[in-house]
Amino acid sequence: MTRARVQLEPGYILNARPYNDTSLLVEAFTREHGRIGFVARGARGPKSKTRALLQPLQPLLLSWTQSGELGGLTAVEAAGPSLPISGERVFYGWYVNELILKLLQRQDPHPSLFETYALTLTQLADSDAERALRIFEKRLLDELGYGLQLPDDLEPELHYQYDWAEGPIPTVQGPSTFLGAHLIALAQETLDSSEAQSHARRLLKAAIQNQLGGKTLETPVMLRQLRSSLRVK
Amino acid sequence: MSTYSPRLTRLIDGLRRLPGVGPKSAQRMAFHLLDRDREGAAFLGKTLGEALEGIGRCKTCRMFCEDDACRFCTPARVSAGSICVVEGPADLMAIEASTAYRGRYFVLMGRLSPLDGIGPQELGLDLLSQQLASGEITELIIATNPTVEGEATAYYLAEMARGENVKVTRIAHGVPMGGELEYVDGGTLSHALSGRQPL
Repeated sequence: MTRARVQLEPGYILNARPYNDTSLLVEAFTREHGRIGFVARGARGPKSKTRALLQPLQPLLLSWTQSGELGGLTAVEAAGPSLPISGERVFYGWYVNELILKLLQRQDPHPSLFETYALTLTQLADSDAERALRIFEKRLLDELGYGLQLPDDLEPELHYQYDWAEGPIPTVQGPSTFLGAHLIALAQETLDSSEAQSHARRLLKAAIQNQLGGKTLETPVMLRQLRSSLRVK
Repeated sequence: MSTYSPRLTRLIDGLRRLPGVGPKSAQRMAFHLLDRDREGAAFLGKTLGEALEGIGRCKTCRMFCEDDACRFCTPARVSAGSICVVEGPADLMAIEASTAYRGRYFVLMGRLSPLDGIGPQELGLDLLSQQLASGEITELIIATNPTVEGEATAYYLAEMARGENVKVTRIAHGVPMGGELEYVDGGTLSHALSGRQPL
């Protein structure tokens, strides 16, 4: 099998797990190679210089060799100042990472989604985090080939039922219907009002659940758990 | 077919469970114990059995402890009023060995990481929140690692303590002693600068 060598590829760590005594098993999302898995040998060792860099949610330049399913990290550099994602926003970042881990195949490049991902992470540090998450979800579905059908002729005042095969169908207002104006806001990626965001969230959540094929997303469950345990007090 | 006899195979497999031990080292250890130190091997077998039997987890701080009296939860330490939260037993030992801190601890045995299935239950956060609610604690010192997971864990610990009106502090992170700024990574340096203190 041929051995591919990749140099200084922009990427982000999605998740890193301990592997053997001093190594890490890393899942990363890169621009030209999509989601990749590699081993970072010695990254957990006492003299490791890469450990501080191999953190999720930070822009990196990764170099690795690939000769099968798993590559081997050869070098890592920071690709810019670290992003100020902290507190609850870390959970938003983990959520985006979990979506990529569970919905994208390894070594399947998605350069435009990579740009969206990078933009989303910078927005997670702002107040616009909710909106950034919805737009990421929408574009992720588009990229997977299961994008939402949001035609141009939606009427802002009408209520719609969303059918997975047909798209939006006009109907009377109900608990599971969507206002036309909110669907248009989602199509145009504006989502300025919190109401539009909550409608978009409801629709995208169901659409993503369809794609997961029975898998569950752990991050939202845990975030709800932590929020409720803090609120009880 | 295995090159070793059945009992030897099992011994080598057993030794390979230790961290840092591969097939070669395990074979060396097994031959050493059988050939040169049979007494030591008997001692090892006996102490291992006793350790498994007698060492458990402390019900208050989750550190390893023998019997019911935990040496890190003595009345003197409890009366200090502070509790230091660490990720693992090795972190506790490091603080104990090189700092003057003599208060209580709480060992999480991990850090929040939804992608690895580690949540509040696994970390015993309900136990910690009971202790915070008891009113005996005046300060919560957060000593989780400065990783993304450690930061997120610290955030929740701080929120928990604030809910109970307990003072929260976080250990400082910055340039190591005897270090040179030139060789410190960017993240550490920016933390060090933003966390600067008046002199």
